[in-house]
Amino acid sequence: MSLDAVKTAFDTNEVNLVEIAAPFEKWQDFPVSRISHHGSVCCEVAREWLSAMDFSNLNGGSVMTGPRWIRQYYNWGPTRWQIHWCEAIKQNALDCGAQASLANEVFTVRGVESYPVQLVQQYSKEATQHWSQKWDGVETSTHWINEDLIYHEGCAVVMRDENEIKIWDASAGWWINPRQFGGYGGLRALRLFSGQHDAREFV
Amino acid sequence: MKIYISGLYSGTNPQPGVGIARSLRLAYPDALLVGVEYSNRCSGIHWQDFDEIWLQRPWDELNLDAHAREIGRVLDAGAFYISAIDLEIMWLASVFPEGHPNLLTPPVEGLYQVSKPAIPAHEKLPVKIPPFVTTEISDWDLHAFCRKHDWKVWLKGPYYDAARTRNWTEFENMRNAFSSAWSTEKLFLQTHVTGYEESISFSAYKGELLHAVSMRKRDLTEMNKTWAGDVSVVPTEFYEPLCEVVKDLNWTGGAELEMVRDPDGQLWMIECNPRYPAWIHGATIAGHNMSAILVERASDVPAQKSPAVTDEFTRVVLEIPVHPEMPLPPLPEPFAGVVGHSLKHPSGLLGFANRLHGMNLNGQNGNGNGNGNGYGKLNGKELTIVPSSFMDDISDFDFEQIQTPSFLYLEKTASEHFNRAAKIAGNLSTEDVAVINAYSMKTNPDARLVQQAYEAGFLAEAISPLEVSKALEVGFKPEQIILNGPGKWWHKEHLPNEPIHAVFADSIADLQRVVAALESGELKAKIAGMRLRMPNIPSRFGIPIDTPELFGELIEAIKTLPRESGFGIHFHMASSSVGVGQWWHLFESMLKWCSSIEALAGRPIEILDIGGGWFPDDWHEGADEQFKKAVQSVGEYLPNVKQIISEPGKALAQPSMALAMRILEIQDFPNATDVVVDGSIAELPMYFFYPHRILHQNGETGSWKSLGRGKAYFLGRLCMEHDVVASHVELPETAKPGDLLVFCDAGAYDRSMSYVFGRG
Repeated sequence: MSLDAVKTAFDTNEVNLVEIAAPFEKWQDFPVSRISHHGSVCCEVAREWLSAMDFSNLNGGSVMTGPRWIRQYYNWGPTRWQIHWCEAIKQNALDCGAQASLANEVFTVRGVESYPVQLVQQYSKEATQHWSQKWDGVETSTHWINEDLIYHEGCAVVMRDENEIKIWDASAGWWINPRQFGGYGGLRALRLFSGQHDAREFV
Repeated sequence: MKIYISGLYSGTNPQPGVGIARSLRLAYPDALLVGVEYSNRCSGIHWQDFDEIWLQRPWDELNLDAHAREIGRVLDAGAFYISAIDLEIMWLASVFPEGHPNLLTPPVEGLYQVSKPAIPAHEKLPVKIPPFVTTEISDWDLHAFCRKHDWKVWLKGPYYDAARTRNWTEFENMRNAFSSAWSTEKLFLQTHVTGYEESISFSAYKGELLHAVSMRKRDLTEMNKTWAGDVSVVPTEFYEPLCEVVKDLNWTGGAELEMVRDPDGQLWMIECNPRYPAWIHGATIAGHNMSAILVERASDVPAQKSPAVTDEFTRVVLEIPVHPEMPLPPLPEPFAGVVGHSLKHPSGLLGFANRLHGMNLNGQNGNGNGNGNGYGKLNGKELTIVPSSFMDDISDFDFEQIQTPSFLYLEKTASEHFNRAAKIAGNLSTEDVAVINAYSMKTNPDARLVQQAYEAGFLAEAISPLEVSKALEVGFKPEQIILNGPGKWWHKEHLPNEPIHAVFADSIADLQRVVAALESGELKAKIAGMRLRMPNIPSRFGIPIDTPELFGELIEAIKTLPRESGFGIHFHMASSSVGVGQWWHLFESMLKWCSSIEALAGRPIEILDIGGGWFPDDWHEGADEQFKKAVQSVGEYLPNVKQIISEPGKALAQPSMALAMRILEIQDFPNATDVVVDGSIAELPMYFFYPHRILHQNGETGSWKSLGRGKAYFLGRLCMEHDVVASHVELPETAKPGDLLVFCDAGAYDRSMSYVFGRG
């Protein structure tokens, strides 16, 4: 798979799966994670805190810098959905969907074009069994695990020249390697949600 | 075919010789590979792919002429020579100024064009060079460079070695270490670039680019050296200009362009090494046998192809047999009571560098005398001199009547600075927002400075009721006083009954205390607010906001402030410590937090009190435009702000006093001069944090001289090991005991934090 493949998903806006349907089959109708808002000041305080913290953590650096501080601040672990902003930011641990939601929020507040992205990654059965046990222990869904594959979420960030996107893996704190497909930790499929109807090409 | 390969060091910061040998063995299974090394401690001499080892004595004892003749002989005999040692490559370029068809290293002119830090050859490439400065300029200017770049700087040696220097003390220590190791003052400071490291390695022969390959570091050692990487072809937009550069330089041999890609995708070139990188066999694994391509072109002997196994490589640690004819040397004896064996540069590279300095092969004379604390000159351009107002003030003193050590109040300088500050504030004020200065009493509570502040229309900022009392004594009215800090209730009996201008709480508990005091009438203030502790910057002051819970608590606490008082926020961070760029980022970050606080707490922010801890030059030079933008930003984020209070205390007080001291004794040593003075770190406690410009008065002529860098150490009068008030200072030949020295820039915390010690 190459970033050319992303074009298909991007153009058709959350319809097609990339490359092959099989890896994504289990999660074909899986919605992307979204943090809810109570519509009151509690969630507004949370969002203001998140964006102000992000600006502080930029240290004067580029807005294109991945917000790794979020992963440093929150452990990676199960999240009970539905979750609201005021609840999410007070957790000790958040799952990939919640961390990606926070990252997507801060990219957007920075003025950087960012979209939710669903991923399928390959690991090993040993790894996924370990995660199954961890998630089972806290009464959260393990629907994100399928044999040696996992469902994952991140952010598709449009680069400055608007001709390229990079995938920010918020719960890992790194950019996904665009050259690595398959293998332990490798990307098997990707679905990008633009949230609008602007078909653009990325090369 | 016989190929000599040098540079076999294989520690955690390895040379590429072993990687070159592994790659050439794949391409030429029958070639005779000869490893060249200058220490039997380099483990690469035991690597299996070498058919022979040509082991030389270490560089610092090697007969260079004889060695040059030997290399000439093997080249003439048809062997190829690939050097993987930067210094050896420089030396070979001088030994063979016209080159040699079998010497696969670059020519002298090419080496000049890739010398760091400027790397002139970079200009045709799509890269930038991070800002840098030579350490030959004055300490004053070096400190300014570090501040400007937020102390995110690296001190680098002339060939190898780099150390991050986070503050002035670290910089001075590392400068001394590098200067001593490399026998030169010609080091340089370069800014750090945040990003991902990647390299391009290429092979070239007589100006023809044969091949190039790109590598991104995917795992690093503790020294940020490559441990794993991925390899790819060089993009056309880089390859094409690289062809031109190689042609211009008439390059032969391998090379590595070390770069950092920042988050915006910009490439910054850090170094251009005139040899293959140590990861070169990683490129071979990915199907790019760079050294084979070079040898094939030079020899016309076809190389066996190296198909790509994968485009990623990594390293492991291997134990290999030691060559029986080259048994391991004994470990040197640890110095008594010292930790470690000190085995750095076993092949004598430091000594070789010194010999190269003497031969002036690198286009530098290598022994610049540098410039010092008060005066710098680079390429004939004067960089920093002691301001004329200092000399005017100092000439007014009758030093015969002054017992040293003694602080000198530079009245004209002080007046000039305070009036300028008042003028700037006036110019920045608009119809909607008044900008006013406040003098932070703690910076230097000397009544003459407080008086200057009062006369220049400043407010007085106090951190204790005692400071409030001092301000009132000088003439400030209660409504001109700001009360701040955690000690505002210490000696509270000195607080005035009338309303003060503003009070800022330093913690939630302090805020509750302030609210209670305001409600009971114990304290009256027109404005009440708090100091913010910004996330990500270590500080013990202000109210923290770096967790959602703390932020929520603050919002709720603000709601308890009496409505009769206005609401304000205080922000303070020393720009001299965090750097100028970082300070402005913190300022904007503070505005963002304030905007959220205002919206969530429902209290309009009417006053912003901004403490800077400014170094004088940063506050004076070109700052007007920046301040103007800052005032505009305040209006954009916080439209309800009516008054901005600026606290430039350090910027004004520091230049307003100097410290006079006399020489007590001069003791010459072969490489240094110890000068005992009657001043001490008790009068200059900030010596460790920034350089002071130093003046010496000629005892006979009375003329003043600003001192440059040299070999003298000014030792304080105290029997304390660390009582050294200046290091590496030039001592005029005429200097003698009894002569007067004036340490400028001592009017802020040097004066206010000076202490009585060793006076009986």
